[in-house]
Amino acid sequence: MDIDWGWIGDHTDTLTEHALLHLRLALLPVLFGLLISLPLGVLCRRWGWLYPPALTIANVLYAIPSLALFMIFIQYTGLTPSTVMIPLTLYSLSVLVPNVVDGLASVSEPVRQAATAMGFGPLRRLMRVELPIAVPVVMAGTRVAAVSSVSLVAVGQLIGQGGLGEDIIRGYQLQFQTQIVAATVLIILLALVTDTILVTVQRLLTPWARARGASS
Amino acid sequence: MITFEGVTKRYPGGTVALDDVSLECPTGRITVFVGTSGGGKTTALRTINRMVDPTSGRVLIDGRDVRERRPAELRRGIGYVIQHAGLFPHRTVLDNIATVPYLVGWNKKKARERALELMERVGLEPAMAKRYPFQLSGGQQQRVGVARALAADPPIMLMDEPFSAVDPVVRAELQDEFLRLQDELHKTIVFVTHDIDEAIKLGDRIAVFRTGGRLVQIDSPEDLLARPADDFVAGFIGRDRGIRRLSFVPASSAPLTDRDVLPADTPVERVTAVGWILVVDAGRRPLGWVSADALPASGALGDARLAPVGPTFDAETDSVRAALDAAILSPSGRAVAVDGSGQVVGVADQHDLTAAIRPAAPLAKDGVSG
Amino acid sequence: MNDLWNQIDLCWTWLTASSQWHGADGIPHRLLQHAYYSGVSLLFAAVIGLTLGLLIGHTGRGGFLAITLANFARAIPTFGLILFVVVIEYSITPVLVALVALAVPPILVNTFEGVRGVDADVKDAARGMGMTGLGVLWHAELPMALPLILLGLRTSAIQVVATATIAAYPGFGGLGRYIIDGLARNDYQLVVGGTVLVVLLALVVQLVFAALRRVVISPGLLGSARSS
Repeated sequence: MDIDWGWIGDHTDTLTEHALLHLRLALLPVLFGLLISLPLGVLCRRWGWLYPPALTIANVLYAIPSLALFMIFIQYTGLTPSTVMIPLTLYSLSVLVPNVVDGLASVSEPVRQAATAMGFGPLRRLMRVELPIAVPVVMAGTRVAAVSSVSLVAVGQLIGQGGLGEDIIRGYQLQFQTQIVAATVLIILLALVTDTILVTVQRLLTPWARARGASS
Repeated sequence: MITFEGVTKRYPGGTVALDDVSLECPTGRITVFVGTSGGGKTTALRTINRMVDPTSGRVLIDGRDVRERRPAELRRGIGYVIQHAGLFPHRTVLDNIATVPYLVGWNKKKARERALELMERVGLEPAMAKRYPFQLSGGQQQRVGVARALAADPPIMLMDEPFSAVDPVVRAELQDEFLRLQDELHKTIVFVTHDIDEAIKLGDRIAVFRTGGRLVQIDSPEDLLARPADDFVAGFIGRDRGIRRLSFVPASSAPLTDRDVLPADTPVERVTAVGWILVVDAGRRPLGWVSADALPASGALGDARLAPVGPTFDAETDSVRAALDAAILSPSGRAVAVDGSGQVVGVADQHDLTAAIRPAAPLAKDGVSG
Repeated sequence: MNDLWNQIDLCWTWLTASSQWHGADGIPHRLLQHAYYSGVSLLFAAVIGLTLGLLIGHTGRGGFLAITLANFARAIPTFGLILFVVVIEYSITPVLVALVALAVPPILVNTFEGVRGVDADVKDAARGMGMTGLGVLWHAELPMALPLILLGLRTSAIQVVATATIAAYPGFGGLGRYIIDGLARNDYQLVVGGTVLVVLLALVVQLVFAALRRVVISPGLLGSARSS
C-alpha cells in the first residue's frame, strides 16, 4: 500500500469541503428521522395495533439496498441531495421507530402509575417521565442510525451526491489508492466522532445512568 | 455426614464471607443455615458442592474432602435447589426434571419415566409434563425445581432459600410437603433461609450465622429457643420465642379431665356441673359447648343450643402450643383433647396446660448455651 | 400515481421477458451469483461472530473490547473498503472479505448480548447440577441466546444481500449489475428490475429466518412474550 502523503497535503481543502458536505448529507437525515420517529413511536405505543405493520414496513425498508433506493428516488427528485437524504431518512426511521417504542416500553409500570398518581397528565407524563427514561434506548438507536448513515452516504456518489464518496470513486477510476484510503479513513473518523458526540450527549441527558454500549 | 473444618472464605478486597466455620450436618437430617443477609449462609452452602472453594479449611462429605473430586462430577451427586428455581425456560417440565439423568448418561426413556415418577412425588399433575416454565405458577416452578434436584436420587440436597419467593400460603404448603417427602426419603439436607420460622419448622439442627460469616450457634430448634447463645441469636429468634418454644413441649403431659364431658342424651335434670359442659355424641365425638346456666328446664343436653367446639388438639402428638391455641379460641376457655380417631379424651384449661410446661423443661435464662 | 403504475408495468415487462432468463446476463445466473456471494460471506461471518460472541459472552472477558471493535467496524464504509481492496487486488476474494467485515458486528454483538443476558439463576442452577463450562454453554446459554442470535444473523444477512449489489461496480456481477448498467445507460427499467430482484431476495431471507425462528427456538422462550 503506497500512501502519497504529498497528495493529501495538497488536497486538504477539497477533502475538508467534501467531509463537511458528507456530514450534512449523513446527519440531517438522522435528525429528520429522530423528529419523525419520536411522535411515530409514541403513537405506536398508544395504539398497539399500529406497531406490527410499522415494524414490517421498517424491516422491508431496511432490506432495500441503498443504491436501489437512491435509484428509485431519482425519478422524483433528480440528481439532487434530496435523492440521497430521503432514503437515508427512511433508513433512520427503520432503526429509530422500533427503538423509540422499545424505549417507551422500558418505562416500568410502577413508575408510570406513580407519575399518574402524582397528578401528571398524559402529555406531561410523556415529556417529563417517559421520554427521559427512554433516552438510553433511543440514543442507542440514534448511534446505530448515525454511524450507518455516515458510511452509507458514500454510495450516493453513484448518483453524484456522495460527499467523500466522490474521492472514493475518483480514486477507483484513476486506480489511485491514496485518494480512496484518505476518503475511507475520513469517513471512519467522521463516524467515530459522531458516535462519541452522541455518547456525550446521552451522558449529559441522563446523568442518573451510565451510558451502556449500543446493541442492534 | 457433611463436615466443615475451620472453613474461611475471604474475597479479594478483604470481604470475609465465612470466618473459621466448623460444624456437622448429620446424615439423613435437615440442617438449616439461618442468619442475616451477608452472614455467609449461602456461601457456606455453596462450599459443599464447590460452587465456592474456601480460602482455608476443609469441607468433607463422609470423611472425604470435596476438593479431591472434580466439581462437575461432585455436583451430579448432590441435589441443588435455588430461590427462583432457575429452571431452563427452553425445556419442558419433563426435560427440566430429567436434566441430571441425561447428564449422567441415562437413556431418554428411563430418564423420562423417572421424571414422571418424581412429578407425582412432588405433587405435579402428569399433564404438566409438556408445559414450559413460563406457564407455571411460582409454587409449581419450585416443585419442578425440587423434583429436578431429586432426579438422580442424590443422597445430599442443597436448598438455597427454595421457598422464599412464593406467597405465605403456598410456602406453608410447600414446607409441609417437603417434610412429608423427607420422611420418605431421608436425604441429608442443607437448607438456607433468612426466615427463622421456616428454620424452626423444618430444621433438625439450626446453624445461626451473623454478619462477617461467623457461626454463632448450632443447636436443635428446641435448644436454640430455650438457650440462645447470645443477644444476637435471641434478637434474631424474636421476642415471642417463649411461645414458639412451646411447639416442642408435648401436650401429652398436661392433666386432662373428663368430669364435664357428657353425652348428648343425658337428661338435663341429672346435670350437676356448674360452668361449661362439653356435649359429645354416642361415639364420644365433640358436638359443642353449653353453659350450665343456659340449660333448658327439661329434655336432653343435646336439645340445648350448643356453642361450636372450636379447634381441638391431639393428646398424643400435638404440642402445648397447639393445645394453648385451642384453649384460647374455645368459647369455654378450655381445650378439647382428642385421640387419633377423633374421640374426646378430656379437656384442659389454660392453667392445666401451663402447669404441663414446667416439669417438661424449665425455660432457661438468656445467655448461656448448652 | 400513474407514474408508479407505469413503473410497475415496466418492471413486470422486464422481469417476464424471456430474454432475461438465459445466459450469463440472465436473471438466474445473476441471482445465483448474488446469492452465492451473500451466502459465502454470511457463512464466514457467522463462524467468526458466533465463535467470538459465545466465547466472550460465556467467559465475560473482553466484552467491552468486542463491542468497541464491532462499533468501529460498523463505521467502515463498505463501499470505500470494496473499491480500495479491488484496486489492490482485482478479484472477488477481497470483496467477500469486505462483506464479511460488514456482517460480523451484528452477529457478534447479538451473540454476546444474548449469552450475557441469560438469567444468572439458570446458569447457577446449571453449574450446580454438575454441568461443565461447555455443558452450560451448550445446554443453557446457546439455546437461550438463540432468539437474539437469529436476529443478529438476519440483520447481517439482509445487509449483505443489500450491499452485495456494490460488487457489480468493479465488475463482479450479481444483481447489482442491472442497477449499475441501468444507471450507466440511463435505462430506468433495468434499474428498477434489479432493485426489485434484490428486495425479493431480501424478503426471501426474511421468510427463511421467520421459519428458522419457529423451528429452532424453543416455544418455552417465545411464549414468554419476547419481542422479535
